[in-house]
Amino acid sequence: MRVILRTKPRKKPFIPIEAEAIIPQNFLRKNDITVYEGNKERKLDEIFYITTEGPAVSPDQVEIVLSGETGRIKRVGEYMNAGRIVIEGDIGMHCGNFMSAGEIIIKGNADAWLGREMRGGIIRCEGNASHYCAAGYRGEKRGMRGGIVQVMGNAGDFTAEYLSGGEVTIHGDCGDLPGVEMRGGTLIIGGNCRRPCGNMTGGICMIFGKADAMLPTFRNTGSEEKEYGGHHHRMTMYRGDIANRGKGTLLVKIN
Amino acid sequence: MSELLVRNAYVIDPLSGIKGDVMDIAIRDGKIVEEVGRNAEVIDADHCLTLPGGVDSHSHVCGTKVNFGRYMSPEDMRAGRTARKGVMHVTSGYSVPTTFGNSYRYSIMGYTTILEGAMAPLEARHTHEEFTATPHQDMLANTLFDGNWSIMEAVREKDVKRAAAVVAWTLSAVKGFAIKLTNPGGTEAWGWGEDVHSILDQVPHFGVTPAEIIETMIRANELLNLPHSVHIHCNALGVPGNYRTTLDTLDLVPDLNDKRQTLYLTHLQFHSYGGSTWKDISSKSEDIARAVNNKPQVAIDMGQIMFGRTTTMTADGPMEFKLYMLHHNKWSNHDVELETGSGIIPVYYSRKSLVNCVMWAIGLELALLTKDPWQCMLSTDNPNGAPFVKYPEIIALLMSRRFRENELALLDPRTAHYVPLPAIDRELDWYDIAVMTRAGQAKALGITGVGKGHLAPGAEADIAIYPLKPDSLDPSTEYQQVMAGFGKTRYTIKRGRVVARDGEVVVEGANSTIWTKAITPPEFDLSVDPEFVKKFEQYYTVRMSNYPVQDVYLPRGVCIATEASL
Ligand SMILES: [Zn+2]
Repeated sequence: MRVILRTKPRKKPFIPIEAEAIIPQNFLRKNDITVYEGNKERKLDEIFYITTEGPAVSPDQVEIVLSGETGRIKRVGEYMNAGRIVIEGDIGMHCGNFMSAGEIIIKGNADAWLGREMRGGIIRCEGNASHYCAAGYRGEKRGMRGGIVQVMGNAGDFTAEYLSGGEVTIHGDCGDLPGVEMRGGTLIIGGNCRRPCGNMTGGICMIFGKADAMLPTFRNTGSEEKEYGGHHHRMTMYRGDIANRGKGTLLVKIN
Repeated sequence: MSELLVRNAYVIDPLSGIKGDVMDIAIRDGKIVEEVGRNAEVIDADHCLTLPGGVDSHSHVCGTKVNFGRYMSPEDMRAGRTARKGVMHVTSGYSVPTTFGNSYRYSIMGYTTILEGAMAPLEARHTHEEFTATPHQDMLANTLFDGNWSIMEAVREKDVKRAAAVVAWTLSAVKGFAIKLTNPGGTEAWGWGEDVHSILDQVPHFGVTPAEIIETMIRANELLNLPHSVHIHCNALGVPGNYRTTLDTLDLVPDLNDKRQTLYLTHLQFHSYGGSTWKDISSKSEDIARAVNNKPQVAIDMGQIMFGRTTTMTADGPMEFKLYMLHHNKWSNHDVELETGSGIIPVYYSRKSLVNCVMWAIGLELALLTKDPWQCMLSTDNPNGAPFVKYPEIIALLMSRRFRENELALLDPRTAHYVPLPAIDRELDWYDIAVMTRAGQAKALGITGVGKGHLAPGAEADIAIYPLKPDSLDPSTEYQQVMAGFGKTRYTIKRGRVVARDGEVVVEGANSTIWTKAITPPEFDLSVDPEFVKKFEQYYTVRMSNYPVQDVYLPRGVCIATEASL
């Protein structure tokens, strides 16, 4: 089954929409799906033109396509556990929160907290992702625990903060403090970043661009070869963050 | 003119000497009056238990550390969500709910007045802003003086009058209500990575002891004729064997006031531990209760813990660090320049933990072994021991021996070896509970004069009507009904208006903030004192002129002015 949700023009397009209900499992039975526009509860068809094609007997056969002005629609795919969501343009904050399985494809940019505390499944963002991509929420001890996040463009600050499992790949640059508080999983940064991996206790971070302002609390333990983008790169290997007896691995390309 | 008549109420009003009479209560323009006209609106209480509005004399609901507890625990914010309904805003949070969450849940339980247990003077604005957003309770702020440099200097100089002048200036500047000492001297020592372990340890740099701070502040408080006494969180909280420090503190207290206690000791459960390590921690509630029974000049609150998840927060920075070293979970530590500090960590009290079982028993024992209910208030040090929504369960435990036995059966079987609780038969009655949840608090806080905690003509018409019929209900066996009844009033009336009904808040609130101003002779006016002014010029990051909380932060401030005897 394919559900196409095209946004209707809104009088106040800047008011965010809270759309945690937009997940494949909810579209199996045609119950009344509602979202919040600001503090007003709205039926789905007040916000979208809805077209449904074909049948489905299980959520993994459901594909949701979001198109139009979707940049302020928040929490799409929250707790998603099967199926597929395709976003034709940009998507608002908290897309794929806590998702455990299935796939989200974003053709534009993603706002902050993409894949926050994700447990499984795949998120692929073809544009840029904002701050806290694949991170844990403020005060949360564990961030993303499993699954795959791929960002083809750049990501903001605090990418993969508290990463505990799974794999995060940012093909472009990251901002400040990627992989900070990492305790497991893999973070791959194709471009440049600043101050990676502070307070890291576990996991692997690989940086194939430049790492500015490296923290002094990582111990150089030699070098290693790694493959990225079809090429082999010579990397300096660090262990840390030794400030908190961390056993993480940080690899930075030798330029 | 608005008039309301509550008919057929089964009233217990301890301050007025009413111990369970069926009567009518007349209300005009927010106050209790002798009688009202025929056109008054009528509520039929149908012989239900009717008490003055609940008063919580020690709870943490507003201010910077509560807020830090909120944002360090997203899991807590997810735990207690309620949707918008009628006039009620969305709320979230369980142990550290949003301000409206606190306000609604208290109101539904019949509480109309709350004392915030600890406000850092420098951060008072935030507390007052959150008071305004806690609209269904009148609010008061305990103001922290435990590590105040000017106070410790006055203590060192043995200058009680100067200490009093510092208190007078500060309370009036920050619109605080009373003096709070949290681990006196300890949090300042923590600035040097140390703590004080008894009341005779010296605070680094200042060379004063907690005992000297406590004695000076007790006398300063009485010089200012403040409504409440000094309110203390003793040294060595949560340390096995700390009951000795508590007994030492109790021994310091003179009897200086004939209207109320001279020292209020908060959350005494956390201060009544025997043993020397976590392995042999035991209850010393009997020793502590004996001392309290012998000293009418002290009042205490329980600081009961209840099993489950909660958040601990206190100005006692070093204690929170010790807790962090036990749990290695999230921890926040905070310094407030020249004044105090704080720490916050989330905790889980478990029936499988012997230590937690002993703590649970101690709180109940303190309430059951203190003979005079006016000396022991019901509290959980919300949210440190448990969120306040557990009060009804605590009331039921105090009223029913059978309930306690059933609960004890679920605990670590070794518990009975370390605590006297299984041997205590006492079951509190409705009157005791009325004292321990409102009348005792109002008296201890010294706010009966502004119409709190009683229902005599002239009092504020703050009334809680519970769906409980004391004539036909046996709390000893029907404790489930007791719990349910105290959890949800039929009516909560605040200043003559029904604010909550059957578990739902029905109007927007408009609370007051009660603060104190001690009027001192001009020679004690610290705003022109060179030494005091220098503190601001040299050390504070805030100018003296910017320090006081402006009136705009207290849209409905009620000032209790006193004449200092300096
Ligand atoms: Zn407290």
